[in-house]
Amino acid sequence: MNLYTTIKSLCQVPAVSGREDAVRNVISEKIAPFVQEIRTDALGNLIAIKRGTREGERLLLCAHMDEIGFLVTVIEEDGRVRIAPVGGIRWTAVANSIVASEKGTLGVLVAEADAKPADYGAANFYVDLGVKSRREAERRVAIGDFLVCRPELVKLAGKRIAGRPLDDRVGCAVLLGIAEEMANAEFSGEIVYVFSVQEEVGCRGALPAAFALKPDFALCFDVTATGDVPGATAMACKLGDGAAVKIKDSSVICHTGVVDTLCRLAKEKGIAHQREILLRGGTDTSSMQLAGGGTRAGALSIPTRYIHSGTEMCDLGDVEACIKLGAAFVAFTLGK
Amino acid sequence: MENKRNLSAPADVDLIRTLSMGFGPSGCEDEIRVRIEDELRDLPIEMETDRMGNLIAKLSLCGEGEHPVRLMVSAHMDEVGFMVTDITEDGYLRFDTVGGIHESVLAGRKVTLGDEINRVRGVICSKAVHHKSKEERGKATPIDKLYIDIGASGREESEKYLSVGTFGTFDSEFVRFGQNERMVKSKALDDRMGCAAMIEVIRSLVGARPSVAAEIYFCFTVREEIGLSGAKTAAHAIAPDFALVLETTAVGDIADAKPAERVADVGRGGAVSLMDRSTVYDRPFVSFLLRVAKENGIAAQVKRYVSGGNDAGSIHKSGEGVRTAALSVPTRYLHSPACVASLDDYEAVRDLTEAVIRNFDILLSEESV
Repeated sequence: MNLYTTIKSLCQVPAVSGREDAVRNVISEKIAPFVQEIRTDALGNLIAIKRGTREGERLLLCAHMDEIGFLVTVIEEDGRVRIAPVGGIRWTAVANSIVASEKGTLGVLVAEADAKPADYGAANFYVDLGVKSRREAERRVAIGDFLVCRPELVKLAGKRIAGRPLDDRVGCAVLLGIAEEMANAEFSGEIVYVFSVQEEVGCRGALPAAFALKPDFALCFDVTATGDVPGATAMACKLGDGAAVKIKDSSVICHTGVVDTLCRLAKEKGIAHQREILLRGGTDTSSMQLAGGGTRAGALSIPTRYIHSGTEMCDLGDVEACIKLGAAFVAFTLGK
Repeated sequence: MENKRNLSAPADVDLIRTLSMGFGPSGCEDEIRVRIEDELRDLPIEMETDRMGNLIAKLSLCGEGEHPVRLMVSAHMDEVGFMVTDITEDGYLRFDTVGGIHESVLAGRKVTLGDEINRVRGVICSKAVHHKSKEERGKATPIDKLYIDIGASGREESEKYLSVGTFGTFDSEFVRFGQNERMVKSKALDDRMGCAAMIEVIRSLVGARPSVAAEIYFCFTVREEIGLSGAKTAAHAIAPDFALVLETTAVGDIADAKPAERVADVGRGGAVSLMDRSTVYDRPFVSFLLRVAKENGIAAQVKRYVSGGNDAGSIHKSGEGVRTAALSVPTRYLHSPACVASLDDYEAVRDLTEAVIRNFDILLSEESV
């Protein structure tokens, strides 16, 4: 599996929260060779199962398929399109982006000319489709259509890549990488790969998925912020310093056993890693932990700069480290 | 589309009135539940009240030996209200709101306080306007500067009628007005109109029972206004495949709203939600709703603004996940003593709900392809 090409192909397919069908089809095709069973649940979570050779525990690995975006709410007389945010939009970071609908219609997301950046919000943003009238606009978009910032991915210096939506297609790529590594491995129990829906609107999809699967352990793969840019909140996590073992974010305190196992395995195997505490932001880890009777849950994060903006940045070295450490965790947990 | 019915039956306004005038702040839904049970008692439908107080009426529409899907249809019984938090030496009541009520609709309102047996009336007051500072006059009085006056002479008399923890609701008339009296004004239209619509749908379904491979669970839920908690346990117990939430939604078709702020319009039919603060709705189910409306000539509109939330937020994430849609009566001045809605919209919500149930096999057959 070529990591960059895989991430790129995942990023190319728009999938706003609640509208993940297209990217689910792509992932489903990619993971098929590595698992025995694939199904989709009521909310649209993709569940792929790889069974071991002996009875044993169930380990759930999760990454979310959805991305933040916009919902078309009103088409005005002159063809201007008003939108509502889907997920945590940072308006200053998405202003003047090219946006695309699922059908491929393009437009420019802009703020009203007299709006001050401090007041940016849905009320003073609109999408300019380049049309002259409502009638013309209605041929291109309908109320209820979802829009995303146009996907793009480029290589920068060294192993750095930039584009969107790295949050969380890069986590999906990690799951695919682990699935490939474990395809011919000997283990007990089963690995369940969950590609979840609706994380960006409040970790909704992972909850019923984990409820149905009742795993013994769960490990989440999502992006995390870094403290290595000017003006950032103090945070120990750096781009390029390896897989980030989550201790806590605002939604979860990870299971100490999972945290300790991850750190120990990383040291033993010489995998670059760092400890991560995210002060603002939540992940599916919380839903996994709380579903049903509760699960021992942890997370491996991919350090990412400029999250939820028009252009996010990752280091492929960190992504590789997450795959290696994730696979080591699976082998250790299910190898007993 | 098959399974059409006569969709022009006028709204049972007495039913809407009876339910809306009932006393049912979140956590105190007993009176509303009894009134609903009274309506359903003589119908051939299984009824059960769960531990939380949700009333669940089950109607099986499938034949023997079929494997039915479960459709949960829900509306909440509770309304926003008040709770007494302190009684002053003078006999005035300090209070807090149960559910979201904005301070600007409080001062000067009549309220009813009590339980199933004892009721007292009161008025929400603040100090007289000529005692207010210039700054205070320009603003809504904050709730900690408001009190309820029940006409008592002192704490001792107040304590004869109620205590700290007593609940209350707005005290408001049910009024019909507008052209042909097609508009209604009342407290608690949120969500007694949903409850009334469910009762009317049940009556019609048991009167002319369609054959559909589904079991319908009509849930009259508790405690929606304080965090969607009743629907959460009901959905967990029922474990439905689909859920349709009947609600009211804010509108925005009022004088000062910009076009982009208009959520829905009163008089233009049932509002189908795409997304709100609690839920991204199931796309095929939403499309099905809009299609059934069109094919049956029932007025429907898409809710255009992402705001609010309802029981769908609990239901769709419950158990192994539930495919959920919401249909609302557009209602002005929600969470106030004077909610305003159109009977045309109420009938559209009622009729679309029934048409969706009668045609549910179509959705199921499309899904299995």
